[in-house]
Amino acid sequence: MSEEREKELFELLKNGVIEFEEDQVRDAAQAVVDEGIDAVKAVFEGLVAGMEHVGELYEQQEYFVPEMLMCADAMYVGLDILRPHMEGRDLGITGVVIMGVVQGDVHDIGKNIVKMMFDVSGFEVHDLGRDVPLETFVEEQLRTDADLVALSAMMTTTMVGMKDIIARIKEKNPKARIMIGGAPVTEEIADKFGADGFAEDASNALKDAINMLTTLKKIQEEEEYGTA
Amino acid sequence: MNLTPKERVLKQLAGEEVDRTPCYSGMGNVTVKGLDELGYKFAFVHGNAEKLANLAATSYKFYGYECAVVPFDFCVEAEALGSEMNPYEDVAHLLYPTIKEKAIQNDDELDSFPIPDDLANAGRVPVVVDAIKRLKKEFGDELPIGTYLTAPFTLGGQVYDLDKMLKYAFKKQDLINAMLDRLADVLISLAKIYQEAGADYITVREMGSGTDLLSPRLWKSLIQPHLTKIFTALREMGFPNNLHICGETNMIIKNMYECGADSLSVEFKNDMKKTREDIGFEPLVFGNLDAYKLLVIDDVEDVEKAVIKSLEDGVDAIWPGCDIWPEAKPENFKAMVEATKKYGAEKWHRKQK
Repeated sequence: MSEEREKELFELLKNGVIEFEEDQVRDAAQAVVDEGIDAVKAVFEGLVAGMEHVGELYEQQEYFVPEMLMCADAMYVGLDILRPHMEGRDLGITGVVIMGVVQGDVHDIGKNIVKMMFDVSGFEVHDLGRDVPLETFVEEQLRTDADLVALSAMMTTTMVGMKDIIARIKEKNPKARIMIGGAPVTEEIADKFGADGFAEDASNALKDAINMLTTLKKIQEEEEYGTA
Repeated sequence: MNLTPKERVLKQLAGEEVDRTPCYSGMGNVTVKGLDELGYKFAFVHGNAEKLANLAATSYKFYGYECAVVPFDFCVEAEALGSEMNPYEDVAHLLYPTIKEKAIQNDDELDSFPIPDDLANAGRVPVVVDAIKRLKKEFGDELPIGTYLTAPFTLGGQVYDLDKMLKYAFKKQDLINAMLDRLADVLISLAKIYQEAGADYITVREMGSGTDLLSPRLWKSLIQPHLTKIFTALREMGFPNNLHICGETNMIIKNMYECGADSLSVEFKNDMKKTREDIGFEPLVFGNLDAYKLLVIDDVEDVEKAVIKSLEDGVDAIWPGCDIWPEAKPENFKAMVEATKKYGAEKWHRKQK
């Protein structure tokens, strides 16, 4: 398979995500499969590269949440076609993540965008959905021995519930890492609540997901090579 | 000038001169202290007019906060249209009610969903009306009685799938605008019902429309027309009003002003100095205290500084930028009101001329 053809298809995937052209992404992903091109490479150099650019556009206030949702839809069209061809491949990251929107909050757009990045990066994601009772986070963490618990809240009125969840999880499993995010969350609040990580640009930003992934990679590397 | 809170608030909204900035808001301000003193649980007050009214007056009684506002949740309008609310009666800690079942399930109902003929008796509207009447009777001479509505876009997310609404905002904008226009009509009818019940002022809350979520371009085509329609109607009915938007609002503050509200309110993410550069000092702008951090987390000494800063940055009322989280520290709440009394004239831009 020629390198040029690869590049061409990856470019189509990337731009299809950025321009939320679902048909273009579908066709290019199918071509990757049909022509026997490396699906993992297509995901990372096509879909993920596209979403990274979307993140930049969000940061530059070119794109806002509705645009990002449409990009995410396009990304999933591609991922659904490519994922069956990625099985058994080492994606560079391993880990189990529990995520959910805390009880009292039914806004899950931000969580879904972050979830997408975990999905695409090969994490085992346990999505608890929205309006999730405190107890469920604690139980699920214990049940799955997840490395990371990601909590989301869209409203000030529900953000406060995170504090209890963090304390309860830490009490039962001090090793679990907890990251929080959502519109009202600030770094100061993350500190006060005892979270290990904080998705900085709180409002459903893709950048947060990428930040989280980078942080996680670092954590994993530290664990792998020892931090001494 | 010795004004009651009611005179201060209503004169100011009418554009008249007042002695100092008031300390109040058009949004929820119930505290745990209020709940405890009355022996109420938050989950059980929303459907009970007597409890709503008693609780709404507690922040005035305890702290001198210059208003009484009902309801306390964001589901009243959606329920009136058929959505189902979850008050979390079985949860031990305090939560705000949410919508668990949305009224509009089919896309083809977006521009034709049913509106009850008798809105005044739909869902919990009669409860809110009764609570307003009770407050009016007991505190009507001294306190301004406020109420609020979730504005069309925010309400849209309470009656229909928000994800789809956001995507359709691009792909089928005419359809979404038809839905929002229909919701605006419902809200205008509700405003009339609340005004007749005795509410002195009304806050229209387009909570989910800041530029954290929507582009200024989309705001202009999707949000502004419906708000303009509502504020034109409120002006015609002589109902003093406020437009509140959470989150980041600097990029849309000019558009907010164009909607024609008597006053605007914003939260801490709004750079108030920039706002004054953009729309000048004439419009009434309220805010922009951090309702959660300042009242729940910060020390009492921080409160006075924050009040002074808001005044110096150009607000016209000390108005927490969101519903006050019930776990607000009593000493911080009190300090906010006291600092406003102390500096609300001296540091206020309208007294500097």
